[in-house]
Amino acid sequence: MTLMPNILGVKNMNGKIEVEHLSKTFKKGNVQAVKDVSFTVDEGEFFAFLGPNGAGKSTTVQILTTLLNATGGKATVAGHDVIREPEKVRKYIGVALQETGVDPDLTGREMIELQASIFGFDKSSAQARANELLNIVQLEEAAERRIGNYSGGMRRRLDLALTLVNEPKILFLDEPTTGLDPSNRMAIWKELQRLNEELGTTIFLTTQYLEEADSLAHRISIINDGEIVATGTPKELKAQIGNDLITFTFPSKDIQSQAATIMESYMGEKEVIEQNGKLLVYVDDGTKQMLELVRLLDQEQVEVETVNLSSPTLDDIFLKITAKEVGGVGHGE
Amino acid sequence: MGNSFWKDTWLITNRNIKTTLRNPFSVIPNLIISAFFLLVYEGGLSGISQLPTFEGANYLAFILPVSIVSAAIGGAGGAGQSIVKDIENGFFSRLLLTPASRLAIVLGPIIAGMLQLFVQTLLIIGIGFLLGLEVETGFGGILFVLLIAIGWGLAFAGYSVGVALRTKNAQASQAGTFIFFPLIFLSTTFVPYELIDAQWLKVAATINPTTYIFESMRTVLIDGWIFWDMMQGVIAIVIVCAITITFAAVSAKNAVARG
Ligand SMILES: Nc1ncnc2c1ncn2[C@@H]1O[C@H](COP(=O)(O)OP(=O)(O)OP(=O)(O)O)[C@@H](O)[C@H]1O
Ligand SMILES: [Mg+2]
Repeated sequence: MTLMPNILGVKNMNGKIEVEHLSKTFKKGNVQAVKDVSFTVDEGEFFAFLGPNGAGKSTTVQILTTLLNATGGKATVAGHDVIREPEKVRKYIGVALQETGVDPDLTGREMIELQASIFGFDKSSAQARANELLNIVQLEEAAERRIGNYSGGMRRRLDLALTLVNEPKILFLDEPTTGLDPSNRMAIWKELQRLNEELGTTIFLTTQYLEEADSLAHRISIINDGEIVATGTPKELKAQIGNDLITFTFPSKDIQSQAATIMESYMGEKEVIEQNGKLLVYVDDGTKQMLELVRLLDQEQVEVETVNLSSPTLDDIFLKITAKEVGGVGHGE
Repeated sequence: MGNSFWKDTWLITNRNIKTTLRNPFSVIPNLIISAFFLLVYEGGLSGISQLPTFEGANYLAFILPVSIVSAAIGGAGGAGQSIVKDIENGFFSRLLLTPASRLAIVLGPIIAGMLQLFVQTLLIIGIGFLLGLEVETGFGGILFVLLIAIGWGLAFAGYSVGVALRTKNAQASQAGTFIFFPLIFLSTTFVPYELIDAQWLKVAATINPTTYIFESMRTVLIDGWIFWDMMQGVIAIVIVCAITITFAAVSAKNAVARG
């Protein structure tokens, strides 16, 4: 991997992302897509931005990759300000946007060679780089076919290869596995882990899949409605809201809301969440508190159908955090 | 790292030429329609040229500019269409994410479109000669006709690229293109100005810049080197180019700038 003539060893270059009080308001519709977002991603770190539709993930990626202007705040990528020095930033990053960016009339090989030439490779290095990348994303057999005939998964893999052409220090991937079947998703996960571990590439990945963030990222920020609502390692996030999750079900809705009121006055409102006909309670010491709660409900003569103790998944964390944001999901009908 | 502006322009232009050649059906229909003007009108309407107003000029030389303008518009329109296609495929964003010169990204498709126009115009003139075209001013006249075709094509390319970059949408920019075709007909398309009957068509022909393009080409094809008659086309091109290229440049600036 030493095809790049003089990209490394350039002054001021590092694999960091530093974002301070970033905001973006779209004039059209006056949408505040990103609200005062701050975070840092260290060199070599695998960082995930986790959020639902419309959370502001793509907007953040587009600002950090020089495609959009921020309306407030500051961002530095690879040691360069994204607003003032976009040309420098572009040299050190690889970007796969939410929509793939390929020309359907070219073949996979031509597409990679063109991308390499634009990044300053001469003809023979561009050819060598294309061979290398086609091999990495397992598209050698399809290399001479037009991209227009590729499947969605092949297109995604080619798009990933294009982002790697310039041996980027930092990779930005906006929902790289959305819409892929499990085997394609696995292939991309593996490659991202390899890039991060073997080459020390910093990775900024957005996703709606909690398991994806959980199994890939060192650190996760949860973004909702333009704001970061929680940040931490997967472990920290799980701990942040309690080690254990107790799930209750009740024979009827009325009984459930009665139980909710009782438990809220005992635990505090925020700890009790009503969801899909179940009551979820996050606690630090599951066994002890489960027994206490059951006893309490028994005293008040509230009939419990089932009780279940488990560790919260990121899904649960996500629901709890966004439920707080929306406010009200925790409060019966 | 990174390339010179010229290298970037070459790479992107080259890509556009390649994809145009791979999509012959984006070129052929327009070429057929343009050639159609020559064949059908030469076959069916050439009797008109027996009328005294034509002073014996051959109708083929009279109708040739219509065919050329139609081919030029088709070729130059390819520039805008290719940009819209790139935007829709996300390829335009992929280019913006590279260190490539922003100007090269927009210029590549324009240059490729102009080359397409040049080849199409040559083909039409070739067909004209096969049908027995005679040119009053000889080879120099043909060069002048080519120049006018390129100039008018550039004016249209500016317009089509501007619409493409502004709407970012294939249907909208195709609809935008269609307004240029009626302009071909609201003019001295099939008969000289003096023979136009309807008053409204006379007015339309007078304000339609296409008329001056036709007339300056016809001057060298039929009448000879008559300076001011030739200049009317050049002036029309300069004025329309100034407008459409400004429009394209402003749209391009917005499209590559960050919103
Ligand atoms: N160009 C734009 N003009 C106006 N509003 C926009 C624009 N782009 C995005 N938005 C709005 O900004 C908000 C955030 O959008 P964004 O695309 O960043 O979300 P996202 O987290 O990427 O969502 P998804 O998971 O659906 O891709 C949304 O409300 C969206 O409608
Ligand atoms: Mg998105």
